[in-house]
Amino acid sequence: MAVKYDLNEREVWDGNFAASQALRQAQVDVVVAYPITPSTPIVENYGSYVANGYIDGEFVMVESEHAAMSGCIGASAAGGRVSTATSSQGFALMAEVLYQASGMRLPIVLNVVNRALASPLNVRGDHADMYLGRDSGWIQMGAFNAQEAYDLALCAFKIAENHDVRLPVMVHQDGFITSHTAQNVYPMTDEAAINFVGEIDPVDDMLDFSRPVTYGAQTEEDWHFEHKAKQHKALMDSRPIIDEVYEEFAKLTGRKYNRVESYNMEDAEVVIVGLGTTVETARVAAEQLREEEGIKAGVVAIRCFRPFPFEDVRDALEGAKAVAVTDRSSPGGAMGAFFNEVSAALYTTESRPLVTNFIYGLGGRDFSIDEAKRIFKEQKAHADAGHITTDIQQFSGLRGPHLGYFQTKRG
Amino acid sequence: MTEIRWHSRAGQGAVSGAKGLGDVVATTGKEVQAFALYGSAKRGAALRAYNRISDEQIFNHAKFMYPDFVLVIDPALAMTDDITMNDKESTKYIITSHLSKEELIAAIPALADKADRVYVVDCIEISLDTIGRSMPNSPMLGAFVKISGMFELDYFLENMKRVLSKFPQKIIDANMEAITRAYNEVK
Amino acid sequence: MQDLKLKANENRGLHQLESGKDLYGWDEVTQGSVLPSFEGDASKIAHLKAEERDYSNYNSYTATVASWRVKKPVFNIDVCIDCQNCWVWCPDSSILSRDKQMLGIDYDHCKGCEVCVEVCPTNPKSLLMFGENEDLETALSQWPEKKKKEK
Repeated sequence: MAVKYDLNEREVWDGNFAASQALRQAQVDVVVAYPITPSTPIVENYGSYVANGYIDGEFVMVESEHAAMSGCIGASAAGGRVSTATSSQGFALMAEVLYQASGMRLPIVLNVVNRALASPLNVRGDHADMYLGRDSGWIQMGAFNAQEAYDLALCAFKIAENHDVRLPVMVHQDGFITSHTAQNVYPMTDEAAINFVGEIDPVDDMLDFSRPVTYGAQTEEDWHFEHKAKQHKALMDSRPIIDEVYEEFAKLTGRKYNRVESYNMEDAEVVIVGLGTTVETARVAAEQLREEEGIKAGVVAIRCFRPFPFEDVRDALEGAKAVAVTDRSSPGGAMGAFFNEVSAALYTTESRPLVTNFIYGLGGRDFSIDEAKRIFKEQKAHADAGHITTDIQQFSGLRGPHLGYFQTKRG
Repeated sequence: MTEIRWHSRAGQGAVSGAKGLGDVVATTGKEVQAFALYGSAKRGAALRAYNRISDEQIFNHAKFMYPDFVLVIDPALAMTDDITMNDKESTKYIITSHLSKEELIAAIPALADKADRVYVVDCIEISLDTIGRSMPNSPMLGAFVKISGMFELDYFLENMKRVLSKFPQKIIDANMEAITRAYNEVK
Repeated sequence: MQDLKLKANENRGLHQLESGKDLYGWDEVTQGSVLPSFEGDASKIAHLKAEERDYSNYNSYTATVASWRVKKPVFNIDVCIDCQNCWVWCPDSSILSRDKQMLGIDYDHCKGCEVCVEVCPTNPKSLLMFGENEDLETALSQWPEKKKKEK
């Protein structure tokens, strides 16, 4: 029997602590980990909860992130509730095994504290690691602050373990900006949290001796395609279930999440589309611009990066005139991946708003309210001119001469 | 929104100080933010910690701020770091130093036209006297309570006891003394 | 003579591994390509012999690779010393043995690789390769004599 953990109605937690408390409250059976900055405290805290009797679980230290996710797969296939955390280089080393986890339909919850990928080495937040996982077949949800890192981790177990989903889920938070920033967090009671998440009801668990199963089958061209198609469909079909879980969570806490979040979008003409903490900073900028200059600015945020909310993002944006899609990841010789996905959705609308791409915030470069305002005003200029007046891809917050690519052929 | 910037060296407790302050402020029903911008992450390296305090949920995640208070808990950093960066006409400075206010302002030209907003307290000496080692974060909190007028001293002390509850009683008592002394000594 | 009418379960070697006939669509494949080995409750089968277990169609027990074979090994019980060498070396678990007594060959899973013949230590060998269509009696009637050691 686990020792009772004292919680206040209002806590001041950073994102890491918040996520680790979600793991404790969800009564995670096994955490297999190879800690890495800035996600270390998540698994470190879980280990201390086990050691101090706050949870009946197993903390397994392994020799690499590849081994960490492999261990998670073993524990999850055995039928346990399983979680771990990683960042950056660790995520990259884990990448091969991520595909194994999703292919085997194992409901592992991975807390990803987003951090830039070397080289040059950098411990701070950008979304390079998150982007690396975007084809891995995991559900990917983004937290914009510490409260959400906690809330979404609880939702993640419920979504992942749903028998109509059975897919692993990543909960992303921005390295340092969320993970190491203490903010007011309003936790659920332990009872309410575990009642919400529920007990895991395993599927195809290897510890079920009445039904021995083989995991990790080999399929060549005769079967592989069918299995991957079925997996893709599961990911696509998870959308209404994610919505249901968000709905149920809102009933308990009053905090309502959506796969696409819209702020000030009722009449917005110029929009910033973003992920992570940037969303909230941009919200402040939009409010201030409306008040100070009467610019109808709005923000659209992707809560659920995978499965990509193609329809919802289109619905949210088709009334806008100019849209800046922000990518916090080095695009590696292309337009930002997020820009490409949002643009593809908007291409299928009648209105086809003007869409530009900002690469920003790499390696933790600060994203200020003033910079968000500047981007909004640039969108206003596009909207007024009726065409894109700048390069389509630009860099925000970069020192040195202007760097930008491609011009519009419209207008 | 009240915004606070701490100038410190890694190991002096600015991050703990900022989080402790946030913890106490939150008990008053306000929303808080506490974070830090670490440098090379070595003990002794300059770092900045930040607080935001608001009646509403805090959405701004930028490190950039126009501080209402600048808290300097290392005497040398007051001279070498850009402590007046992005300040406002109302920004108040609380600086750890053994110097008098006049001597300090004479030594830091950037403070020359802000004399009415500069407050001095020797957090290093107070922490050595009370806690027994150089831990200037607690005394700075006492000075901040006085200058900001954000709380009654007793309210703050009671809540700090809770924040420090994982420490031995001796250390809690020493910190309470440090906070109280700085509250009374800041000028 | 030996009795090789083994009590092979009816579901052994039912389908050709490469028939191309049993391919079905994405909507029917198992979740996560996880494959159950048995039909029904398998919690009380540990003591059952292989041929008494209810293997599922996902288990190789129910598949056959007999058609891969050009030649087949034939087992001669009169020479065999039950050393289990062939059982150890067979890459397809096709040597049927029970209580350390050699019983014969599972021709549904034997691919005719000849490893068993190679590792058989008796003189003459207890396993020899014959044409796929050779019947057992003819094969046994052609069994070689013991070779004398050359001095």
